[in-house]
Parts: sequence; structure tokens; C-alpha cells
Amino acid sequence: MATDSRRSPSTASSPLRRGRSPAGFVVLAALGVALVALPLLGLVLRTPWSRIAEILTNETALTALRLSLIVATTAAAISFVLGFPLAWVLVRSTFPGKTLVRAIVVLPLVMPPVVAGVGLLAAFGRRSGLVGSWLYDWFGIQLTFTTAAAVLAATFVSFPLAVLALEAGLRGLDERLEDAASTLGASRWYVLRRVTVPLLGPQIAAALVLSWARALGEFGATITFAGNLQGRTQTLPLAVFEQLQTDTDAAFAVSMLLIFLAFAVILGLRGRFLR
Amino acid sequence: MKRLAVAVALASLIAAACSDDGPNAGSGETASAQGSDLTVSAASSLTDAFTQIGKAFEKANPGTAVAFNFGPSDGLAGQIDEGAPVDVFASASPTWMDSVQDDGPGVTSRVDFAQNRLAIIVPAGNPAGIENLNDLTEDGVQLVLAAEGVPAGDYAREILKNAGISKAALANVVSNEEDVKAVITKVMSGEADAGIGYVTDVTPDVSDHVTLIPIPDEVNVVATYPIAVVNGSQEADLAQSFVEYVLGDGQQTLAEYGFLPPP
Repeated sequence: MATDSRRSPSTASSPLRRGRSPAGFVVLAALGVALVALPLLGLVLRTPWSRIAEILTNETALTALRLSLIVATTAAAISFVLGFPLAWVLVRSTFPGKTLVRAIVVLPLVMPPVVAGVGLLAAFGRRSGLVGSWLYDWFGIQLTFTTAAAVLAATFVSFPLAVLALEAGLRGLDERLEDAASTLGASRWYVLRRVTVPLLGPQIAAALVLSWARALGEFGATITFAGNLQGRTQTLPLAVFEQLQTDTDAAFAVSMLLIFLAFAVILGLRGRFLR
Repeated sequence: MKRLAVAVALASLIAAACSDDGPNAGSGETASAQGSDLTVSAASSLTDAFTQIGKAFEKANPGTAVAFNFGPSDGLAGQIDEGAPVDVFASASPTWMDSVQDDGPGVTSRVDFAQNRLAIIVPAGNPAGIENLNDLTEDGVQLVLAAEGVPAGDYAREILKNAGISKAALANVVSNEEDVKAVITKVMSGEADAGIGYVTDVTPDVSDHVTLIPIPDEVNVVATYPIAVVNGSQEADLAQSFVEYVLGDGQQTLAEYGFLPPP
């Protein structure tokens, strides 16, 4: 419903929308797909399929899988809980510096992961971190080398995706439906719960799935900030990296698992976040 | 071994892009039209010494440019085995030179050019009060090592084993790092209480931030560094002279950075 009302004015009337695509576009589009698909194909071909069951049920892989699921799910949840209000504020209110706030929030998407890790250290490190040194000196809380640090790193990189998806959803929402509910006497909380959130269903799903998948693949910030220890901070990508040095078959098998997980959720979403 | 390459090459490309590899990044542009380019893959523990040796070599051979690819020896060997165009390989352990020699393109003029010892490295001020190897086993000490397979990581585990404290010390490990420089970084930032790295890792750049605690000779490991010209090098002659330079004038630089002469 919401999706349709939004789509009709912007795209249905466009003359370019229907009909044959220009041949040049088709070629370039195919090249684009190849660019992404070839490395995936390479991984598929190099995966030791005969050993995959044995590798993926060994302790290293299972521990990393369990940790990855916990870390990615927690990160996606935090991204949503903080991202929804932020998206709301960005869409529905005006305040000075709004453009700047949005730019800052989106920055982790394009930041080199190592830089993200160094930044996290500067904020949450126990020795010289802005907040971290205070946490450590006053409460004895150290984040580095803990699962919490891995969650923090994953949240840092996945948060922008959640905000962007929710923002797009809120922006496209037909506010008249909310207004109608209000005039009929619904409280703000009731409107949010019974009108806004249900209308935003697909975008909320997109926000959760995208941030979850991004969190699942997080590597650079994690190894820089949280370290690499089995069962505590060694998520699937870190396990891949360490296994490259000892058991390359295992590295490829675990890579396959990661790709499978991410691919499954994105496919499940059927590209809905783009419409 | 072969399967390693794509991913390792990718990982080290990313690492190279993100670290301040001055010589690596700049040398492509400084190469003159008629000059020759030499690509040297070297263990990350050689970063400072080789950067300086490279500059001196460029000066002694006008028109040449030396590009360095620093990283964990195992990763570098993986790249070379998979066909990375490298002229000279300097490894922190004979194991990974063997890999290039036997499973990769092969090498010529292989020679040991330096030795290194390992040491405990603690943050300035030594917050955990580490004084010797045994202190690494105390409750709550946060120890950082290079991962298994990385020479510095394997050497560190060997030392703990020699000292008979493997189990207790390994229980204190909070992170297995991708290379020895990452170990130093974690210690330098004060996040870890101690790490095991090379004596040579405490360079002038970091000596304000870390303190070195020697490991007694009876349990310490001596790391031997081999260097060789990689077969198939387009600049075999120049590569040969680089190897000779490291064995000649380069020895003084290596000594300045704390390396021991070859056996």
C-alpha cells in the first residue's frame, strides 16, 4: 500500500521505464555483474566441497559461527533501536546542522575499516580512549578484547545502513494516514505502533537485514579494536583470516558459509529495500 | 598453499592501502623512465631497517626504485607462490622461504642475512608489572601474540613451551594478531599488558611508548632471516645486487636496528 502510493508518481510515468534497454547498457550491466560474480565464482570453485561438512562442524567454525550470530544480531538490534529514532528526527524535524549529522552518521559506510578500528580505540580504548579511559579508571570496565567490543565494531559499520533504510521508508510514508489516525483520536504512541510501524514493515525488515549482513561481514574494525580470540572476538571473518595461515581449505569453507548466510537473507528480502 | 593466494593477496593489498607504506606507495611514481623497478617482499619486522636500506640502495644505484611489500612472511610467501611479480623475498623464517623454494617459483642466491631474538614488550609504565616470562602467567594479564603460522607467533609459542609455561600463558592470550607489527600496536596503545615480539620491533619510533624486557637465552628462540632472488624476476641482476647490498653495506643498518649478524 505504502509502497504503491509512493511508486506511482515517481516512476510509472517515466518513458524510460518500459521497453528495451539500450545495448550498451546491457553490456556494461553484464560487466558490472561479472565484476561482483567472478570472485564469488572463484570462491565456489576453490571450496573443498568434499570436506565442507567436516570443516564446518569443527570447533573453530562452530564457535565462530555462534559468536558471529550473536554479534551480528545484537549489532542489528542496536542499530535499529538507535537508528529508528534518528531516522525519524532526520526526516521529520529541522534543526541546524542536520546535513552535517547525516554526513557523520553515514561516514562509516565509506571509512576504511582499519580507520574505524583506530577511531574506536581512540574513543573506547582503556588507556587513551575518550570514554574508554574513564570507564576503565572509574569502573574497571575494559571493552577492548571483549565480545562487547566486537559488537561495538559491528554496530559502528552497520548503523548507517539501518538509518538510511529507515530514513528512506519514513520519507516515502504517506503522512496523511498518520494524520487521519490522529484526527480520529489516536495518541502519538498509538499512531506509531498501529500505523507508522506497520506501514514501514518492509523498510524495517530491510534495515534489520542490511545491518545484520553488514555486521556479519565486519573484519577490519573488529581485529583492530576487539582483537582476535576464539570464542570471544573471533567472528567468522576473523576465523577465515586466521585459517588462511594454517588451513586454507577451512578458510574457503568458512568463507562459503559467510556468503551463504548473507546471500540467504538478502535474497529473502528480494531487493525490497530498493523499492 | 596455492589456495591461499587470492585471499592473502587481497588482505595484504587492503593492509598496504591502509598502512603508511611510504616506500611502497611512492616508489612507482619516483621511478625514472629509463630506470629499473625492484619489488622486494619483506617480513614486517624488517620494515624500518629495509626502508632505510632501500633508500641507500637507490642512492647507490641512480635510476633504480625499490618498492617494498611488507607483511607477514607466510602471507608474502603465499603471494609469491601464486605468481606475484616479486624480485626479492626476505623472510622472517626459513619455513616460508622453503615454501617459495619448493612449492613456488623457486629461488636463487638464497642466503641467511640476519638473526633476531624475541622479547617481551610491555606498554610504557608497565601497568601490569611484568618483569619476566613467568609474570605472563599471572591472573588477569592480557597477553597478545601473533597468530599461529606467523613466524613471530610460532616463535613466541616455542618460547613459552621452552619455559614450561605454555598452558598458563596461552590462557592469558586475549588476541592473536595478523602480524608482529599488530602485536606491537596493541601493546603500544596500552590495551594489552604485554606482547611477545622481536627485539628489533622496539624502534626509535615506538620506544617512547613501549618497554622491552629481555628473554633469557636458554629459552629464547633465534629467528634466522633468509633472503633470495625469486626465480622469474625481470630484474634478476638488480635483485642480485640488492641481496649483495643487504649482505654488505646493509649489515650496519640492520645492526643499528638491533638485528644480529647471520650465523
